[in-house]
Amino acid sequence: MGERLEAKYGLREEVVFCTRCVMSNQRPTSTVEFKHRADRKARVLAFDEEGVCDACRFAERKEQIDWDARERELVRLLDTHRRTDGGYDCVVPGSGGKDSCYAAHVLKYKYGMHPLTVTWPPLLYTDIGLKNFRAWLEVGGFDNVTFKPNGRVHALLTRLGIEHLLHPFQTFILGQKNLAPKIALQYGIPLIFYGESEAEYGNPIAETATSLRDRSYYAMQDLSEVSLGGVTVPELIERHGLTLNDLSVYFPADHRRLEAAKIEVHYLGYYLKWTPQESYYYAVEHTGFEANPVRTEGTYSKYNSLDDRIDGFHYYTSHVKFGLGRASSDAAQEIRNRHLTREEGVALVHKFDGEFPERYFREVMEYIGMKPERFHELCDEFRSPHLWERVGGEWRLRHRVS
Amino acid sequence: MSVRVIARLDIKGPNLVKGVHLEGLRVLGSPERFARLYYEEGADELLYIDVVASLYGRNSLTDIVARTSREIFIPLTVGGGLRTIADIRTVLRAGADKVALNTAAITRPDFVREAVERFGSSTVVVSIEAIRHPDGRYEAYTENGRERTGVDALAWARRAAELGAGEILVTSIDREGTGKGFDLELTRAVATAVPIPVIAGGGAGTFAHVRDVVVDARADAVAIASVLHYNVVRRDDHTARVGDEGNVEYLKRGRPGFGKVQDATLADIKAVLRESGVPCRPVGAEAGA
Amino acid sequence: MRAVITADPGDLDAADAVILPGIGAFRDAIHTLDARALTPAIHAAVATGKPVLGICLGMQLLLTESHEMGRYRGLDLVAGEVTRLSEDAGDGTRVKVPHVGWSRISPAGGGAFKEPLFDGVPADAFMYFVHSYECRPSSPGVATATTRYGAAVYCSALRRDSVVGVQFHPERSGPHGLTIYRNFRTSIVTSREWSHGRTAGSEIRTA
Repeated sequence: MGERLEAKYGLREEVVFCTRCVMSNQRPTSTVEFKHRADRKARVLAFDEEGVCDACRFAERKEQIDWDARERELVRLLDTHRRTDGGYDCVVPGSGGKDSCYAAHVLKYKYGMHPLTVTWPPLLYTDIGLKNFRAWLEVGGFDNVTFKPNGRVHALLTRLGIEHLLHPFQTFILGQKNLAPKIALQYGIPLIFYGESEAEYGNPIAETATSLRDRSYYAMQDLSEVSLGGVTVPELIERHGLTLNDLSVYFPADHRRLEAAKIEVHYLGYYLKWTPQESYYYAVEHTGFEANPVRTEGTYSKYNSLDDRIDGFHYYTSHVKFGLGRASSDAAQEIRNRHLTREEGVALVHKFDGEFPERYFREVMEYIGMKPERFHELCDEFRSPHLWERVGGEWRLRHRVS
Repeated sequence: MSVRVIARLDIKGPNLVKGVHLEGLRVLGSPERFARLYYEEGADELLYIDVVASLYGRNSLTDIVARTSREIFIPLTVGGGLRTIADIRTVLRAGADKVALNTAAITRPDFVREAVERFGSSTVVVSIEAIRHPDGRYEAYTENGRERTGVDALAWARRAAELGAGEILVTSIDREGTGKGFDLELTRAVATAVPIPVIAGGGAGTFAHVRDVVVDARADAVAIASVLHYNVVRRDDHTARVGDEGNVEYLKRGRPGFGKVQDATLADIKAVLRESGVPCRPVGAEAGA
Repeated sequence: MRAVITADPGDLDAADAVILPGIGAFRDAIHTLDARALTPAIHAAVATGKPVLGICLGMQLLLTESHEMGRYRGLDLVAGEVTRLSEDAGDGTRVKVPHVGWSRISPAGGGAFKEPLFDGVPADAFMYFVHSYECRPSSPGVATATTRYGAAVYCSALRRDSVVGVQFHPERSGPHGLTIYRNFRTSIVTSREWSHGRTAGSEIRTA
């Protein structure tokens, strides 16, 4: 060997896998998406001296938390905001996936709140996704505001996101993170509840010590900080013919207005012990949720991230850039929840990770106006040499979890 | 000819699990304990399915099969990840009476014929898990409802019967675990298409469902899981040995029931069948217990 | 009751009784019995008055001839033929073959069971059946129990001297089935070793 392989995106050159789950040190932690540019250095999942990742440590700690005390904290918080005069007292963002089903339902029916569900819809709804979205509202029984952005701009930004960052999901993530605070501002609702905390997936533990979502994720200081699809705002305007009118929907809320309105974003997962698989059963039982009848491409599971035809691309491109696909994600989470052993997780990763999202490929390419070959070319460009090698005309990961 | 009421146990490792749409591995307790209760309470047969055998390429039911067959004297069918003649022999030697073949059989239909020649028709049950398409056709799936095959479920059922299978177990993935009832159309289509007994699996939520699938859909036997398991979980503390492995959150929460099913005992189910004029083997004292 | 699964004729000679289990095809079973010299050993056991219990296919093997997949000679310990179950349900519809499931056994000749093997088993008790063929013994007094399936009523248990056969599976018929085994043990006079086979007919064919 001996040659030094370039590691793109500031990823660690040496690939190391967690000794407990199947994640590697290549996994990026959540990015502040509107500052996301191609030349950024990714913050990655941290490991401790025993080779255990942050997410696993967090899961460990989950078992020692006094959940009764946390629930009391939640009730105190809710008591100060609960409204019975017809006004909304909290916002639950989501699109009818199992987690938002659980969050909205438990807040309304167990804790007596009056949530407004807020949806930044998928780029292209899958049949099962649309079915579950409707069931959420019609069976679960919730008011909903869906904000659908300009489709042409959305498609363009998605394409740019792929071309510059190989990140098909960026436009969705932007909307998902930024919409709820803006709706909260507009309706005067002071509380926003997301589901799990991102530490579940490996964001630094310090951020989960309190339940408030770090403001930097959803508030910006001024426009010069903003990139969309990996392109700065001025360039979007000059080169791509977009206007501020087209783009403002993607910008996060002005932090000064958020502070003035005292909008708070909380993770429900801080207050209530979160077991994603049990959210599935809960959603089935209470909001008419249905799992995908087929196995989702790239993984073994049937109830995670079902609603967008472009979902599969998000995980596939993650696999290209970081060597970690959907099966890795699903398995890591189930290992941490003790549903699977590490051995089982490894077997699942080997079997399913990196599977190409064939089912909706043509459709998605057509929607965003990209030639299929171009997508494959881009994938090749984005493969980091320290992760991939070419063997017999095929790409192969240098390091696989074992 | 009486209709058989079969208790179906989905097993992962040491645990009895129950999913919805064959997804999710919520632990409900110890399979041996549940099996024993079902035997004592009038089950006509037991069906053990290893739900992850295909996924991990391993077979791990041998021990529990051996223990069960030593203490429980009703027929036991075992399925999940049986891929070779040797796999079948191992499980039969451990004490199983019948084997259920799904993935391996669709992948290589001759395997059915080989198994039948070796072990006899009556030992071989072909298990078909199907999903309904909008046009009304049913497609067979493998690997515990994960992989499409492109194979028409009805055509496959006929072929399996021709290859010598002794029985067909047909499960609707759309209905399984949901408590919405069996897919009557699917069951009827299969039951009337083959000359061998057909077991309806997947979807019971109430007594009426069990009766309907026999009376309307002509099933010769019924495999029931959620309705029985959630009933046991509700009334029997000892079944819920809460270990560490698997999704034990539901048990830890105190087993609050599962709203999608009207849980019931075997006695309840058989009573309803008899009231509808369906003969079945009695439970309790009459059965010699 | 100590039981040994065997394909060795010597074991039969040493045993106090013989159980002939059976799952599978008649043709293969009889060929294997012949090939392993078990056929004469079984005849010898019967000649010395040892109890012999045939279960399911094992019962069918006791008869003269079977029509399963051709015509094959049986052990001829009980005169009669083995023929395929009829699919006629009697009302124009068809019943499924194989007959799989629980059906009642009724004492041949009505009333309560006189057959010692069924001591303590109520008339019309349910037993577990799984078969496609039925036994038709030539002699009328041989059948000890009958069962209805579809339009037909067939012989579900028989006895000729010390040879008994049951078409159903007592080991899979719950508590009543266990009673039959207990009765069989009681019927055994001497206290030497037993031969006992419980599982599929594979141990006859493959050892």
